[in-house]
Amino acid sequence: MPDVYTPEWYEAVKSAINDRVATLASVPVDEFTIAVEIVGDGRTPYVAEGDVRRFLIRLEGGTCAWYRELDADDPSVKLDYRFTGPGSDFDAIAAGLADPIDAALSGTIRVKGDMRFLMRQAEMVQVLLEAYSQGVETTWPKGRPPYDGVS
Amino acid sequence: MTLKDTYDAIIIGAGHNGLTLGAYLARSGLEVLVLERRHEEGGGLCSEEVTQPGFVHNIHANYHTFVDMAPPVADLDVRGHGVEYVRPEVQMASIYDDGTALTIHTDMDKTLASMARFSEKDAATFQRLYGEAHGFVDLLLGTLMYQPPLSVKELTKALATFGVEDRSEFLSVKLRRETINQFLNRHFENDKIKAHLAFHGAVCSYTNDVAGLAIGYPLLVGKIDNWHLCVGGSHRLAHALWRDLAQHGGVMWSDADVTDIIVEGGRAVGVKTAGGLELHARKLVASTVSVEQTLLEFVNPKEIPDELSQRVKSEVVHKDWSLFSVHMAMRTFPEYKAAEFDPDVNRAWVVNLGIDSIERLNADWKSIRAGNLVDPQPNAAVNSLYDPVDAPEGCTTGLLRQFAPFALADGGEGAWDDMGRWYGQKCIDAWRRYAPNLTDDEIIDWSVFTPHDIARKLPNMVRGDWMMGEISLANMLDQRPLPELGQYRTPIDGLYMAGSTQHPHGFITFGPGYNALQVIADDLGIEKWWSRI
Repeated sequence: MPDVYTPEWYEAVKSAINDRVATLASVPVDEFTIAVEIVGDGRTPYVAEGDVRRFLIRLEGGTCAWYRELDADDPSVKLDYRFTGPGSDFDAIAAGLADPIDAALSGTIRVKGDMRFLMRQAEMVQVLLEAYSQGVETTWPKGRPPYDGVS
Repeated sequence: MTLKDTYDAIIIGAGHNGLTLGAYLARSGLEVLVLERRHEEGGGLCSEEVTQPGFVHNIHANYHTFVDMAPPVADLDVRGHGVEYVRPEVQMASIYDDGTALTIHTDMDKTLASMARFSEKDAATFQRLYGEAHGFVDLLLGTLMYQPPLSVKELTKALATFGVEDRSEFLSVKLRRETINQFLNRHFENDKIKAHLAFHGAVCSYTNDVAGLAIGYPLLVGKIDNWHLCVGGSHRLAHALWRDLAQHGGVMWSDADVTDIIVEGGRAVGVKTAGGLELHARKLVASTVSVEQTLLEFVNPKEIPDELSQRVKSEVVHKDWSLFSVHMAMRTFPEYKAAEFDPDVNRAWVVNLGIDSIERLNADWKSIRAGNLVDPQPNAAVNSLYDPVDAPEGCTTGLLRQFAPFALADGGEGAWDDMGRWYGQKCIDAWRRYAPNLTDDEIIDWSVFTPHDIARKLPNMVRGDWMMGEISLANMLDQRPLPELGQYRTPIDGLYMAGSTQHPHGFITFGPGYNALQVIADDLGIEKWWSRI
């Protein structure tokens, strides 16, 4: 079981995504680059308070082609989507304790990008989110959510 | 400056949608010409000294509710071009005949406290609904306002796939069958709170008794505290957009009354004006005026299918009520009797006077739809409370707005010319009942702007329809104004619709111009620099 946010963990997430997408009857042929920004909120032990961990994820034809962690925001990368939110919420989603749709609806995790595509490809999006939140057995070396004071 | 013969893009109408589209295209490197029938840019962003010199009145658009929600505000740097927005601390109020009052603040705790004086249960309900709506207002805006529209079917399917129906009152598909009245009656108990929330919908053109409009209520609730005033008059926004257009090489040409859209080989290639100009477009012509003007007047009938012409004539539906306005120059601010109950009403930018039940509003709609004038219960906006420059020192402007029919049952719309002044006095008298200090001595001058005046001044607002198309479920999203026009394209290549006839609708949303831009960019392969994530 990989530690959260390590290369091994992202490889596992990637595999989980691709396995699940393979079960879908149809997937879009489009290619997307997605940034995930996990903001240190003073609760998660995996991102220092005030810091941001940034990941790029590349989806091609519905499957995850690659992921990459960035040291800083790279404005030269043309993004299709950006997901930004507090680290403790991302942790809770990765632990299967929080629902990513709820996080988006409540505004906890902010989504930027073409919402039409997300709506039209709801089935695929749902599969991707399930893979992220439930597809990997994760270990939490610095503690597992929920953290103190976070329900 | 002289006009060239040919531009990349010709845009008909220099309202905020036409200017927005033009400015983005100019920033994208296109040669852009925006043609305006009137003597100045702005369309509904029209501020004039219609009473006395020094008193600036917003003849039409007064409320800017999408500031910092609409992408063009930042993309086109309207603040950098001189626009100053103020978000009044006391956004709105309702004053009731028993002397009580409800106030809506930018501080939601104060709003909830005001509601709790009428019903603690309703205040708690509103807090929950506001929290839900405010959480996903960005998603709503991104999904529903600032993108070419999805269909209701697509939205419903997506919501079902995400399984969100039970997660928010606002995501239930049953809203598609409900009126705002039904939504309010299901959730609230206090008549005055319900009346205020229904009034809020009506002021935004979401008539509370129209089936299906509950679907739009989440966004109304989510931005209930985002009403902004444009300091110095709403026209300053138009001027800022024009300035951005001009700085990027675009041209706005006024007093240019387009009479024809030139179509060659099924493609729009230019326009003719009443002044004899013939101007050519290399890439596109976009119209921001009404569907009727665009497809029935400007385009030769042989260029569009007969069926579409017939559908424009018979199926493009306009609002069944309009607005009657009284613009006032005054020496003092209103001092409401209801300030004894809630002192904040004297600082409320917009005040609903005396509508204290949904039933009262319902009765008014019934009468107005029959072409009758109702006993006025106008809403009163005092911009000078928050605008330091819209009136001479020591003086103030006032704006009364009353829901009214376009065509009067007795005499049609033409009767307004004889009735306007009389009805204006009745509106002023109604205001005085709640603010007795507004005596004749305190009112320097006033003038009226009737529904008929709206249609005469801004003919794209057919029948005084300030939303440029009925607000109803059947006329929303990709169905607005007709399914074959719902994605901003027309049957004529290179001719686009980019005005408030299109999704989302009228109001200062920037949406139609911004969304048409997305479609035009897709068609022409323009790099979408504005949508960098």
